Amino acid sequence: MNEDNQYLLEVNGLSVIYGSEDNKLKAVDGLSLQMKEGETIGVIGESGSGKSTLALAIMGLIKGGEIKGEIVYDGHDLVGLSEKELKEFRWQKVALVFQNSLEVLNPVLTIGEQIREPLQTHYDLSKKELEGRVIELLNLVGLNPEWRNHYPHNLSGGMRQRVLLAMALSCDPELLIIDEPTTALDPASKEEILQLLNKLQKRLGFAMLMISHDLGTIKELTSQVMTMYCGQVVEVGLTEKVFKDPLHPYTRGLLNSSPNLFKYKDLWGIEGEVSQGKGCAFSPRCCQSGENCNDSRPSLEYVALERMVACHKGGIEKFLEARDIKKTYRMKGKEVKAVKGVNLEIKSGEVVALVGKSGSGKSTVAHTLVGVKDFDEGEIYYRGKKVEDNWATKMIGGMQIVFQDPSSSISSRLRVLDAIKEPLDIIKWGNQEARKEKVVECLQKVQLPASKEFLDRYCHALSGGQRQRIAIARALVTEPKLLIADEITSSLDPSTQANLLRKLKALQNRAGFAMLYITHDLHLVRKIADKVCVMHGGEIVERGVSFEILENPKHGYTKKLLSNAFRSLI
Amino acid sequence: MKKVRGMRVIEYLLTVLVIVTLNFALPRAMPGDPFLIMSETEEDVVVLTEEQREYYFELYGLDKPITEQYVSYLGDLLRGDLGLSIYYNEDVSTIILRRLPWTLFLVISTVILRTIIGSLLGTISAWCRGNFFDQFLFFNLITISEIPAFITGLLILFVFSAMLGLFPLSGAMSHFTTYESLWEQIVDILHHAFLPIITLTLARLGGIYLLARNSVITVIQKDYLVTARAKGLSKGRILLRHILRNAMLPIVTRTFLSLGSLVGGAILVENVFNYPGLGLLMQEAVNVHDYTLIQGIFLVVALFVLVANLMADLIYKHLDPRIESQEQTTS
Repeated sequence: MNEDNQYLLEVNGLSVIYGSEDNKLKAVDGLSLQMKEGETIGVIGESGSGKSTLALAIMGLIKGGEIKGEIVYDGHDLVGLSEKELKEFRWQKVALVFQNSLEVLNPVLTIGEQIREPLQTHYDLSKKELEGRVIELLNLVGLNPEWRNHYPHNLSGGMRQRVLLAMALSCDPELLIIDEPTTALDPASKEEILQLLNKLQKRLGFAMLMISHDLGTIKELTSQVMTMYCGQVVEVGLTEKVFKDPLHPYTRGLLNSSPNLFKYKDLWGIEGEVSQGKGCAFSPRCCQSGENCNDSRPSLEYVALERMVACHKGGIEKFLEARDIKKTYRMKGKEVKAVKGVNLEIKSGEVVALVGKSGSGKSTVAHTLVGVKDFDEGEIYYRGKKVEDNWATKMIGGMQIVFQDPSSSISSRLRVLDAIKEPLDIIKWGNQEARKEKVVECLQKVQLPASKEFLDRYCHALSGGQRQRIAIARALVTEPKLLIADEITSSLDPSTQANLLRKLKALQNRAGFAMLYITHDLHLVRKIADKVCVMHGGEIVERGVSFEILENPKHGYTKKLLSNAFRSLI
Repeated sequence: MKKVRGMRVIEYLLTVLVIVTLNFALPRAMPGDPFLIMSETEEDVVVLTEEQREYYFELYGLDKPITEQYVSYLGDLLRGDLGLSIYYNEDVSTIILRRLPWTLFLVISTVILRTIIGSLLGTISAWCRGNFFDQFLFFNLITISEIPAFITGLLILFVFSAMLGLFPLSGAMSHFTTYESLWEQIVDILHHAFLPIITLTLARLGGIYLLARNSVITVIQKDYLVTARAKGLSKGRILLRHILRNAMLPIVTRTFLSLGSLVGGAILVENVFNYPGLGLLMQEAVNVHDYTLIQGIFLVVALFVLVANLMADLIYKHLDPRIESQEQTTS
């Protein structure tokens, strides 16, 4: 490698365009990428996002497509080189492990010959040396060298993956591009291949560009990750950080769709179709798309050190930020420090679970956030604006709270209609007809009858569960973006609880609805929460992505909490 | 595996039996009988009396019941005895063996020539698919192969032999010559065979060309060709080991399977060029209703086709490693 080149591989503004003049398809669209020696970068994205095209483009294997931009390998621009000139780079410098299928190996040649071929072409070796190298390579990838005289169809999928790997490593490449190394493999072979790749990368030190829609693979094998959508890069960052805290809604969508990351959580794919317009390609599927999202393509910008996102809103929007909240109750000269400096962050489309036992200060935090209770110190911001005087709760699309005890939070002297309509009356939204329509809509959401008879019923005549649902309906009537839910489902029967949570979850995925979910029920948390904060004695003792906290708790208190909750399961 | 092989043998034996039976039945279903011709030839005034006809019927066993004739026919075949030619009054096997080499020479030369030329042109066509050269080849070769072989043959014979006098008009060798060296003899034979072989090759080129072209186009689009390019292999290696090695599989099959129909084509061409092969012999035999001779020729041609099939099977198995494992899985 040349001394003056900082990067092994540098891709600048690469576009791959297929199709005719009037029906253009940009498989890769203005993509840039830098890779240093020995680095491992993962490329994630759904099928058709241009991942494999990128791999083929780097190898100069695009056929029938137009290529724009630069692919600089070690100081040489590869775009536009002839097949003969490319030969120098192919396989000796950059090798590709193709996506495993019978088709990528020649069916009538033995695998030995197919591994030997590039060696024969690129080096001047004797027959004996070639044979020795093939055996060495097969041993390296953990395949019995006897298989070299067999044909591809004699081998299992896992064995073929090893052959592809041995073939790619034959000329000691500096950069290895790996396309979907584990798809269509059974779990055991998958694990073996992952271990093998990990081991080989560490031993041989090649740079690795790993393409996969299996996020588990990416998480294990790469240090950086790049999310591709419609041929564009929408997020770049360190793998660990991106997986813990995705900034682009698309990346988060991919993470939420991966069962191997969130083992217990409900699966939610990303709905909707690709935008063909000039705006952000993801906007029709995005839960936070606004008007300016359809005007132009967002460019990839730095949002933090080693972190880039292409989003008009700078990534997933931050709904609520509470900084260093402190609250002390004073009763008869006795001071109770209920909240001792809590920081909290809730993003668009996120369910943050606040767990801890009674008296840990959870409800106090909830109440201070919406301004029901004063706090002594700290600041609260809702969508970037400081919260004062209840403005955030006094609007459509703002913040709302549902209290734990419906019998005291809903006046028994109000009729159902008036109780739910109250927030709208206060902000003088629309006319009475429109308000009533909204009320009916919300009643349906919480599975209560919307008949005239029910609307006119007094709240004191309702059961506890019904009153809880009235309280939820009242919170939903202003279409809040953020719901602070304090044990809202504890008095509901399991079926109603499940239905309600699914409705909220759908709202979350579609409209970016977020929720601070305060609960004791860790089973529920495991099912719905994206992030978990564990509160103990007025402090948040542990916080993080739900799968990490629940799978691998660090703090002693969290461990205790979890072992109490899940003992029955173990 | 053994079971599959056993099945194959039984298949081939059954086919032979069917061929032999048809061979026995067909000439007997033809109108007239050989002795009628003998008795009606106008130039040779050999008119057979009723007694003579009966004598001949008895001599050739034609008076016996059909089943008896069949059984004795099968028995003779097993001994390699194809019977006595009625017209030539000579052993059928001797006559056929005398003529067979010429036909084999024509057919085999043609097969080699047209497979090589057809595959080459097909590969070139596929390689520059869509451009002028491809279209030119495509149009011309398809047109030529649509013209019946005997018309092409007549045309070629007329132009090169009759008008230009470059090649002899008929025969396989010059008559009444003694060759001074083996080389001279070979040249003379090639000189005679040239036009028939060219005619047959031209008539059969289109099929192989099309097959080769399609086959190469299919292979070119396969993923393993991307792999080969990615590996930085040389163009020659990609063409030989990756494209042609795969594209030749259907060509090999077709080549062997077409041997039968090629013999059929040879019969027509031999008649045009008056080439002394099996085809010409067959025409003569049909004209004089020489049952035994016709039967003999049919049988030899049919067995030839069968052998060609068997060879195709064996060679394909060797060329395509996937076949063997398929058989393993079915057994």
